[in-house]
Amino acid sequence: MSAEQVKQVEADRPGRDRGSWGRSYGQLVAREFYKSRINIASLVFILLLFLVAVLAPFLANDKPYAIKVGGGWSFPLFRSLNAVDYMVLLSAALGVVLWVLIRRNQRRVEPSARGEVLARQLGGAGLVLAVGIVLLQVLVPARLDATDYKALVASGEAEEAYFAPVPFGYARTELAAREQGPSEVHWLGTDDVGADVLSRLIHGSRISLSVGFVAVGISSIVGVVIGSLLGYFGGKVDFVGMRLVEIMMAIPTFFLIITIVAFFPRSLLNIMIIIGITSWTGNARFIRAEFFKLRGQDFVQAARVLGLPLRSVLFRHMLPNGVAPVLVNATFGIAGAIFIEAALSFLGFGVAPPTPSWGQMLSLGVNTSGRFLWWLTMFPGLAIFLTVLAYNLVGEGLRDAIDPRLRKAL
Amino acid sequence: MLSYLIRRIFLMVPTLLGITLMVFAISRLAPGDPLSLMMGPESQLDAARAADVREARRKLYGLDQPVYVQYVKWLGQVVRLDFGDSIKHQRPVVALIGERLPVTLVLNLIAFVVIYTVSLPLGVLAAVRHRGWFDQGSSVVLFMLWSLPSMWVGQMLIGYFTGTTFMNWFPPAGLSSNFADELPFFPWLWDRLWHLVLPVLTLTYAGFAYLTKQVRAGMLDNLRMDYVRTARAKGLSQAVVVFRHAFRNSVIPVITIMATLLPAMFAGSVIVESIFSVPGMGLLAFEAVTTRDYNVVMAVATIAGTLNLLGLLLADVAYAIADPRITFGRSGV
Repeated sequence: MSAEQVKQVEADRPGRDRGSWGRSYGQLVAREFYKSRINIASLVFILLLFLVAVLAPFLANDKPYAIKVGGGWSFPLFRSLNAVDYMVLLSAALGVVLWVLIRRNQRRVEPSARGEVLARQLGGAGLVLAVGIVLLQVLVPARLDATDYKALVASGEAEEAYFAPVPFGYARTELAAREQGPSEVHWLGTDDVGADVLSRLIHGSRISLSVGFVAVGISSIVGVVIGSLLGYFGGKVDFVGMRLVEIMMAIPTFFLIITIVAFFPRSLLNIMIIIGITSWTGNARFIRAEFFKLRGQDFVQAARVLGLPLRSVLFRHMLPNGVAPVLVNATFGIAGAIFIEAALSFLGFGVAPPTPSWGQMLSLGVNTSGRFLWWLTMFPGLAIFLTVLAYNLVGEGLRDAIDPRLRKAL
Repeated sequence: MLSYLIRRIFLMVPTLLGITLMVFAISRLAPGDPLSLMMGPESQLDAARAADVREARRKLYGLDQPVYVQYVKWLGQVVRLDFGDSIKHQRPVVALIGERLPVTLVLNLIAFVVIYTVSLPLGVLAAVRHRGWFDQGSSVVLFMLWSLPSMWVGQMLIGYFTGTTFMNWFPPAGLSSNFADELPFFPWLWDRLWHLVLPVLTLTYAGFAYLTKQVRAGMLDNLRMDYVRTARAKGLSQAVVVFRHAFRNSVIPVITIMATLLPAMFAGSVIVESIFSVPGMGLLAFEAVTTRDYNVVMAVATIAGTLNLLGLLLADVAYAIADPRITFGRSGV
C-alpha cells in the first residue's frame, strides 16, 4: 500500500471512535493483561527501571547540575554527558515517539494498513537512530572534567550549587571511605574502593536492561528464522536442523557462554551476542511446531499459489499466526538473560570495571579477608531479583492473557 | 520398541559429532595461541632459538597440519577417552574428571531427591486444594523462589550462616573439615552432610517451583478425567482416588522431567560449586576456563554434552516404556 493510499484510508476512516473497527488481537490481549494488578505493577516497575537507566547520569553524578562560581553560572553535569548518554536519551525519546505513534495508529489507521504504517514508522525511527549514533560519535568529544566541585562548595568558592540526588559518580575511588555500611551520606554504603553503592546500582541498571533486550532480540530472530524454515520445509531440512537444535540443547549453555566470554575479547556487545546465539533453541522449537500445523492450511496454500516469495509466505502470512509463544518466551528470555549476565559478572567474566554491573557488585559481598559486607550483597542482589521477578511476572501475565484457556484450566 | 531404541542411538551419532565439532571449533577460533602461552618470558631473550622451539612444538602437537586433520586426530583420541593432559594440574584430564564428576553427580543426586520429596506432596496438595489459599499461597512463594538468583542466595547463606559476622552455623566452603579422613564412618558422614547443606539448598530451591508446577498441572488434568469421576462415584475415599488413581497417572511425566533438568543442573553446578568451593565438575570447568586450560575445557564440554544427550535419550525411552500410548513413528523423533 502506497503512502497515498494510506492517506486515502485515513481520510475515509469511518469515525474517530475505535469501536467501529472492532478490537485487534493485540488489544484483546492487552485488555486481558491489564486486568491483573500484579501485571500492571510489574510493568510499572520495569518502566521505572528503564527511566532510572535512561536518566542515570542525572540521578547519580558527582558533578552539579548548575554551579555559580565568581558570579557566573556553569552546568558541569550537562557538559560531562558522553556519547553513550546522548545515545541512550535519543533511543528513549524515539521509543516514546514510537509508542505515541502506535497509539495513534490504533485510533486513526484502518487495521489492515497498520502493519504497513508501522513498518514505515519503525524504519524511520531506525534511520534516525542510526544517523544519530553516527553523528553523536563524531560530534560529542570525550571530556574529562576532574574538577572537585564538592571541594569548591566546601571552601565557599562556589556561591550556589545544585547537585543530583545521589551526588557521587559511579567510578569514584576514595579509599578513606571504603567498605562503609549504609549511612546518611552513602545511603546504601560503599564498596571496596569507596564508590557509592546506590550510584553504582543506578548506573548498573543500564547493563542489565540492555543485555536483556539485545540478547533476547538476537535469540528471537535466530530462533524464528530457523524454526520457521524447519517447520515449513520439514523432511531433510528439518532433520538436519533438529540435529543442530539437539546439539545446542545438549551442550551446557552456561558453560559454553563462560568459555566463549573468557576466550574472546570481553565487551558488553560480545556478552549480548553470545547469550543471544546460545538461547534460541526454545523459540525455534515453538515456531517449528506451530509451522508444522499451519503449513497445510488454506491461507498458506493460497499464498504459495499466488507465487509470493518465501520470505513473504513465512513471515507475513504464517508468522503472525504463530508469534504468541515467541512473545511469551521473549519475556522469560529477558529475565534469563539478565540472570546470565549477572552470573557472568559475578564469576568475573562480565564487563571490565569500573563499569558497574549488579553481578560484579554482588561478588564483592564477601571481601578478600572473608568479611561479609551485607549491604554489598543485599542491595545488588535485590535489584537483580526484583528485575528478574518483574519480567517473569509479565511473562506469566502475558501467557495467561494470550491463552485464556490455560488460565481457566490451571 | 527395539527398532525405536536402535534408531534413537543411531541418531545420536551425528549429534555427538556435532558437539565435538563445535567444541573443537571454539577452541580453535579463540584468539590467543596455546604455543605463545607455553613459551614463557625466557623466549624473549633469544628470538632465533625461540622460533626454533616454537616450530618444534608446533610439529610435536600437530599444529602444523590442516585443521581437519587435527580434528580427526582429536576425535580419535576422544573416542578412546584420551583428552590429553591438563596444563594447570599436569595430569591426564580423564583422571581429573574421574575425581570431580562423582562429587557433582552426588551433589545433583541429593538435590534431585530433595526437589522430588518437596515438590511431589506440594504439587498434589495444591492440585487437591485447587484455588484454595494453599494453592495460591504456594504458587506465589514458589514463583518468587524461582526468580531468586542463585549467586545472591549462595552469597547470603555464606554471609549470614557461616563465618563470624552473623551466625556461625555451617562451614563456608569445601566438602569436609580438615582431617575428616581420620574420622570414623558416621562422624565423617555427618561432617560431609553438614558441608552439603548450603550448596544443596542453593541448588534446589529454584527446582521446587518448576517441578511443583508440573505435578500440579498433571494432577489437575487427571483429576478432571472421567475415570476419577467413576472412582469417586464408586464411593472410594478421597485418599484412594487421589493417590491410587490420579497420582499414579500424573507421576510418569514428572519422573521423565528429570532428564530435561540435567543441563540446567550442570549450569547451576558451575555457579554453586564456585560459590561454595565444592571440588566438582563445575568448579573444575570454571577454573579451567579462567586458566585457559584448553584440554580440560574441551573435555568438560564434550563429556557434559554427551551426558546431557544420554539423559534426553533415557527420558524419551523411559517415557515410551511407561506410557504404552506413545507411538514410535517417525514424527516422534
